[in-house]
Amino acid sequence: MSELDDELMQRFQKGDEGAFTLLVRRHQQPLINFIARFINDRDSAEDLAQETFIRMFKAAHRYQPGRARFNTWMYHIASNLCKNELRNRGRRDRYRVENVVSNGRDADGDTEQVDLIASAPADASFQPDVQLERKELRKAVQKAIAELPEEYRLPLVLRDIQGLSYDEISKVLELRSGTTKSRINRARLMLKDKLKSFMEPL
Amino acid sequence: MNCLQAEEHFSAHFEDALDYQTLQAFEAHLAACEGCRHEHALFQESVIAAQQLPQIGTSPYFMPALQQRLAEEQPERLSFWRQLIQVVNRPRWAFSGMMLLIFAAASIYFYHRDIVDWNARPTAIRDTQTSQQEGQVTRPLRTGLSAVPTLNNSRQFSPGSSMSSQPMQQHYVLKTVSYASTPTRGGL
Ligand SMILES: [Zn+2]
Repeated sequence: MSELDDELMQRFQKGDEGAFTLLVRRHQQPLINFIARFINDRDSAEDLAQETFIRMFKAAHRYQPGRARFNTWMYHIASNLCKNELRNRGRRDRYRVENVVSNGRDADGDTEQVDLIASAPADASFQPDVQLERKELRKAVQKAIAELPEEYRLPLVLRDIQGLSYDEISKVLELRSGTTKSRINRARLMLKDKLKSFMEPL
Repeated sequence: MNCLQAEEHFSAHFEDALDYQTLQAFEAHLAACEGCRHEHALFQESVIAAQQLPQIGTSPYFMPALQQRLAEEQPERLSFWRQLIQVVNRPRWAFSGMMLLIFAAASIYFYHRDIVDWNARPTAIRDTQTSQQEGQVTRPLRTGLSAVPTLNNSRQFSPGSSMSSQPMQQHYVLKTVSYASTPTRGGL
């Protein structure tokens, strides 16, 4: 996969703009998924993904095949854009969890209104439909991720949602491998604590 | 292994990345500690739940909108220096460049040393005598001054006939000798 990316980038560097379009097609979906999960906002995710690709397009001549991988470069740019975006939004609507819930639209684009807190099983005799339960679990997981501090959320999303290796995450975030590992473990422990009330039968 | 240490290994255990000894200690702790067993089960469940979140799709407007924006953009052209840095950054070019630089520096060094050696003594004595006879004020050299400013200075300060006809290296030697023969006028 990365070899093809390198080849496409080299073609683009020589003036083949179609090669860049192909790169976008290959990476747009994972990138949008990453941004949407990280900032918990699907609508802004596409704008930020576009901005990421535009930056890569403009700076493509700085890319050196073999020195960096296309996807770590992409996630590095996207992460910085997301962090700036979150900073600009300020505290009040940083995670937009409340907006998402009250609009009845979650990050999956579902329109059904479900209150995340009230949806936790309150009664042991309550037998929810399996589909509904899954959907609620997904919402609870997304909400829990969105509530993690940024420095833990970012490596967790890259690892558990995007499936990057520890080595790749270290490169994206410019962290030492030990720091990456401990942050991911800490992030998962926090996630577990946040989901405890949802997962543990009362 | 205590509970805190066991917790540190949850991820590595989940990813099957523990070495044999740690794995044994970890599993022994879990077997004996109900609290950690429970937390570990929840941990695995939540990581799996995160990993199973569905992928968010791309809207049909994404690509056309991006292409429209890209059409307005131009890839940045690298400046000459950036291009040079990029070339030099490649290991084999960096090595060749380094060797070339060392060779060039060595050539310049030996070339200059040879000229100075050949001309130093006789010229120095002759020129010092000349300048003293003409009553010329020679500025003492200060430590660390390179040959180049000295050359310029000597040109400016010497109206004499001999200067214009002599090679540059001779003036350099002249200044060096002048330093030794002229009072420093207090401090360097
Ligand atoms: Zn324990």
